[in-house]
Amino acid sequence: MASETKAAKEESVKDFKKSLETNPDYDPNIVVETQNLTKVYRDFWGRQKVRALKALDMEIRKGEIFGLLGPNGSGKSTTIKLLLGLLFPTTGRALVFGQDATEVTKNERIGYLPEESYLYKFLTAEETLDFYGRLFDMPGSVRRQRVAELIEKVGLTWAKRRQLKEYSKGMTRRIGLAQALVNDPDLILLDEPTSGLDPIGTREMKDMIIELRDQGKTVVMCSHLLADVQDVCDRIAILYQGELKELGRVDNLLQVSDQTEIRTKDLPAEAEEEIRQVLVKHGAKDISIEQPRTTLEELFLNIVRESEERPGHRMIDQREESAKQ
Amino acid sequence: MFVEEIPNFLDTITGSIFLVGAITLTCVIGGVLAGYLVATFRHGPFEAFYVVSSVIAQAIPDFLRTSPRRVYAIARLAAKEAIRRRVILVTFLIFALALLFGGWFINSGVSNPEQVYVNFVLFGTQLLILMLALLISAFSLPEDIKNKTIFTIVTKPVRSTEVILGRIMGFGALCTVLLFTMALISLLFVWRGLSHQHEMVSNNDNPEAVVGSISSFNDVVTPGKAKTGRRVSANCIKELMTGLENGHRHQLEYIREVRSPDDVPPNEDSVVKKETLPDGDIVYFRVVCQPAAGHTHAVKIEQRDGESIVKLGPARGYFRARVPIYCQKVNYYSREGILKGVVERSGERKTAEGKKTKETVGINVGKQNNYRGFLDGSTALSRAEFEFQDFSDARFGGDSQKIPLELSLGVFRTHKGKIDRRIRASIQFESVQSDPNDASESFFISDPPLVFETMEYELQTLTISRKLRGRHIDANGVEISSGEFDLFDDFGANGKLKVIVRCEDAGQYIGVGLGDVYFRAEDNVYWLNFFKGYVGIWFQMMIVVTLGVVFSTFLSTPVTMLGTSCVVVLGFLSKFIRNMRAPESAGGGPIESMVRLVTQQNMVEEMEQSFATTLMKQADVVFVYCLNSLTYVAPNFGKLDFSSFLKYGYWIETDRLMVAGAASLALCFGLFVFGYFCLKTREIAG
Ligand SMILES: Nc1ncnc2c1ncn2[C@@H]1O[C@H](COP(=O)(O)OP(=O)(O)OP(=O)(O)O)[C@@H](O)[C@H]1O
Ligand SMILES: [Mg+2]
Repeated sequence: MASETKAAKEESVKDFKKSLETNPDYDPNIVVETQNLTKVYRDFWGRQKVRALKALDMEIRKGEIFGLLGPNGSGKSTTIKLLLGLLFPTTGRALVFGQDATEVTKNERIGYLPEESYLYKFLTAEETLDFYGRLFDMPGSVRRQRVAELIEKVGLTWAKRRQLKEYSKGMTRRIGLAQALVNDPDLILLDEPTSGLDPIGTREMKDMIIELRDQGKTVVMCSHLLADVQDVCDRIAILYQGELKELGRVDNLLQVSDQTEIRTKDLPAEAEEEIRQVLVKHGAKDISIEQPRTTLEELFLNIVRESEERPGHRMIDQREESAKQ
Repeated sequence: MFVEEIPNFLDTITGSIFLVGAITLTCVIGGVLAGYLVATFRHGPFEAFYVVSSVIAQAIPDFLRTSPRRVYAIARLAAKEAIRRRVILVTFLIFALALLFGGWFINSGVSNPEQVYVNFVLFGTQLLILMLALLISAFSLPEDIKNKTIFTIVTKPVRSTEVILGRIMGFGALCTVLLFTMALISLLFVWRGLSHQHEMVSNNDNPEAVVGSISSFNDVVTPGKAKTGRRVSANCIKELMTGLENGHRHQLEYIREVRSPDDVPPNEDSVVKKETLPDGDIVYFRVVCQPAAGHTHAVKIEQRDGESIVKLGPARGYFRARVPIYCQKVNYYSREGILKGVVERSGERKTAEGKKTKETVGINVGKQNNYRGFLDGSTALSRAEFEFQDFSDARFGGDSQKIPLELSLGVFRTHKGKIDRRIRASIQFESVQSDPNDASESFFISDPPLVFETMEYELQTLTISRKLRGRHIDANGVEISSGEFDLFDDFGANGKLKVIVRCEDAGQYIGVGLGDVYFRAEDNVYWLNFFKGYVGIWFQMMIVVTLGVVFSTFLSTPVTMLGTSCVVVLGFLSKFIRNMRAPESAGGGPIESMVRLVTQQNMVEEMEQSFATTLMKQADVVFVYCLNSLTYVAPNFGKLDFSSFLKYGYWIETDRLMVAGAASLALCFGLFVFGYFCLKTREIAG
C-alpha cells in the first residue's frame, strides 16, 4: 500500500515537473510570484467599487515565513484570495509554484486557513478532517492516521467527537488550522492565524509556524498583530490601502542603527551609576538605564504554566499577601 | 389510454444521436461565443481571447480527471447536510399523514377504486418528492457560498465538476432512498386498501336457509329478472347480493351453462353439479360472481351437511400488468379502398404519399384529439389495417389455444338510433406478404369476419382461437382451399399478421388509433410494474435536482427555486400549451378569452372591430408564440409520467423507460456542463 502511494506521489511530482518545463521562467525556489497584481471589486453592473490591490509585485521564496501587514481593509485577505484563485485578478498575474493561481492541481500542495474558519458546523472535528482528507489523493489508512495526529497536534483530542457548532472561536480556529495541514502542504497560507486564540494558543501557533518553516515549508501569513509578525516572520510586506509600502527582512527593517542596548543580570546600583558616568564621558545622549518589564504575554504564560503544575492554587492570594508585606 | 408511440430503444437512440450531437455542437459554439463577448466586455478583445482559451484548456482536464473519490466525499457531505435540514423528515411526515388520513377519504364506492388509489399515491409521491428535491438542491450551493464554507472546498484540489456532480449525486441518492421507501409504502397502502372479502348475507325471505348456501339464494321468476326485481343473466336460476365491503357489493348468479365436451370446462371450484345431456353436451350448474368496482372474486363451493355453501376468495382483476403486443403500423383506407395514410409505431403520421403530417390520418370527425382516425360504416373497403411483426406463439406462452385480442375503439354517431345500442364493428385476420413488392405469394384471410359490439372506449376482450375459419388465396385472387387454418403457422407463418378493423353499422363511424388494437401476452408481475411507474418519477426527480444544483451555481436560492419551479411547471404543461389553439379558435387566445370572460361576452360572437381588438389579437399571437417556444426549453415531463400505465393496468415496456432515461440523462448532462462553466467562471469570493 505504502509503496503504491509513494509511486503515485512520484508520478504526480513527475507530472508536475513536466508541466513546469513548459514554463521557462519557473524557478523552484520561488513559490509565489505576483506580477502587477491588481484587484478592483466591482458591483453587479460592473461599476468600480473598491481598488483593493494596486499593482503588487513580490516574490515569496521557498522555506520562508512571509508576513503581510497592514491596517484593516488594506488588501491582505484580497492578496491571499488572489493567490488561491478564489478571486480573479483584474490585471496582472499571480503564480503559485509557477502555475496560474486558478489552476486546480496546485491545491494538492497548498493549505489555507481562512480569516474566519468556514467549516461545516454539523460535522465533528474528526468528520471534518476526514472529509477534507478525502479530497486529496491519499489512501484511507494514511488519512486516518493524519486525522488522529492533527487532532492531537492542535490539542482538540478531548473534543474531537463534538460538533463544530458547539466549539468556541479558538477551538474552531484550531480545527481550521488542522484542516489546512491535512495534506501535509508545501505552501501554507494563513489569514490572521492568531485571531481568536488565547495566549497559549497564540504561542503554540507561532511555534507551529516556525516548526513548519523548519520542515522546509513556506508559510504566508497576514496579520495586524505586529508582535506576532515580529516574532515569527522572516520577511514582511506592508500594505496600505492596497499599495505595497515596504518589503524586506524583519531584522533589517527593525534594526535601529543609532541606538545601543546593554543587558546584564543582578547589576548593583553603584555599578549602574558608574556606567552612566562612563557613558556621559563618551558624550552619549538620551541615556536611560532601567529594569525591563516582562511582557504581558510572558506573565500570562507563566501563570498558566504554574497553574498547570499546581492545580487549585490561587495566584491572586499570593500576590495580595506579598503586597501587604 | 392513448399510446401515442411505441418506442424502440435502439431505433430512438440511433435516430436522435445526430440531433443530440447537433444541439451539443450549437450549444458549445454558442457558449464559447457568449463567453467571448462577456470577456470582451470585461477585459477587451485580446485579453478575452486569452481568458476564453484558458477556460477551455482547463475544462478538458476538469472533465477527464473528475475523481469518483472526491465526488463521493462531496456527495456524502451534501446528503448529511440535507438530512440535517429536516425537510426530509417533514416530507416523510406529510406523506405518512396523507396516507393515514387520505385512506379515509378515498371513496371506495367509485367505479374503479384501483385507479383512484394509484392516482392518489403516484400524484402524492410525485408532488412531495419533487418539492423536496427542489428544496434541498436549491439551498446547498448558495448557502455554501454565503457561509464561505466553499472557500475551504475549492482551495483543495477539487474541480468544479466534482462540486456539482457530488451535490447532484448526494441529493439524488438521498431522494432515491426516500422515493423507494415511499414507493414501497405506497404499494402496501394500495394493496391493503384494495384487498377485501365479502360476507355472505342471509336471505330474509328464506330465514331457515344456511347463510351462503345455494338454497338461500333468491329465485328468478322470469328469465333475466329475479324475484327481488334485479336484472340477471338469461341463464341465471338464482341470484344473491353479497354484503357491502369497500363501498360495493357483487351479484352472485347461480347459472345453468351448457358446454360441448370439446370446450374448456369452467373452473371446477365454482361448479355445484353437472349433468350430461343425451347429445353429449355437459350442463354445468355453477355460481359466478359479477364484477363490480373493477374486479370480481373467485367462487369456491364447499359441501357441508348436504348443502352447497358459496365462499368468495380475494379480489381478482386488480393489480394487473397487462402486456400488450402492439402493431408495427396502421394503414387507413377510404371508402373507395384508397390508402389515406399511415401511422407508424414511432407515432409518426404519414400521408399516402409518405409525407409527414400532423393532421388526423383517416376520417377526421371534428375538433378533437387527432389520435384516432375514423372509418366509414358498412363499407367493406373503408378499413384500418393493423400490421403486426414478430408474431409467434412463443410470445403467448407457447401452446396457447386462445389468444386474447383487446380493442378500445372510438365511436362517432351520425344518427342517434337506439342510444343504448352498441355500434357493431368487425375484425378479420390476413397474412402479410414477406416482400411488399412481390405480389406472387398466396395468402390467408379469415372468413367470415368476427363481429362484435362496442361502446365508445369500452375495452373489448376478444378471445381468438388459434384455429380460424378462412380461405387460402393465390396471387391472382383464386381460392386454393378453404377451411380451418392456424393463426401462427398459416396466417402468421412469416411472423407478420394483419388485423383489419371495419365499422359494420351504416352511417356510424368507428375511430382507431395506434394503441387501440393489440394482442395480449401473458401478464407480468404487478409489483415490478409498480416500481417501474416510480422510475418515471425518479427521472423527474433527478432532473429537478440537477436543475436546482445547476441554477444555484449562478443564482441565489429564491431565484433558483423560482426558476426551477417555472421549468417544471412548463415541463408538465408543455403538451397543454402546445395544444392551446392560437387566437383563431373559438373565443380567441388567452387574452381575448380573458376579456370575454370579464366582459361576459359569449365565445362565438365576433368581437367588435376596433383598434383595441386588433391589438388584443396580435398580443395573443405573440403571447401564444412565446409560450409555445418556452415549452421547447423545458423538458417534457409528460413523457416521463407513466402513471396512466399503472392506472389502467398496463405493463410499462422497458424500451419506453430506457428512452425516457436516455433523454433525461442527456438533459442532465447538458445542464451539468452548463453549470460547470457557470461555476468555473464565477469568482467565488467576489
Ligand atoms: N467582496 C468584496 N466586495 C467589495 N469590496 C471588498 C470585498 N472584499 C473586500 N473588499 C474591500 O477590499 C478592501 C481590502 O479588503 P481586505 O479584506 O483584503 O482587507 P484586509 O487587509 O484583509 O483587512 P482586515 O485586516 O480587516 O482583514 C477593503 O476596502 C474591502 O472593503
Ligand atoms: Mg483580512
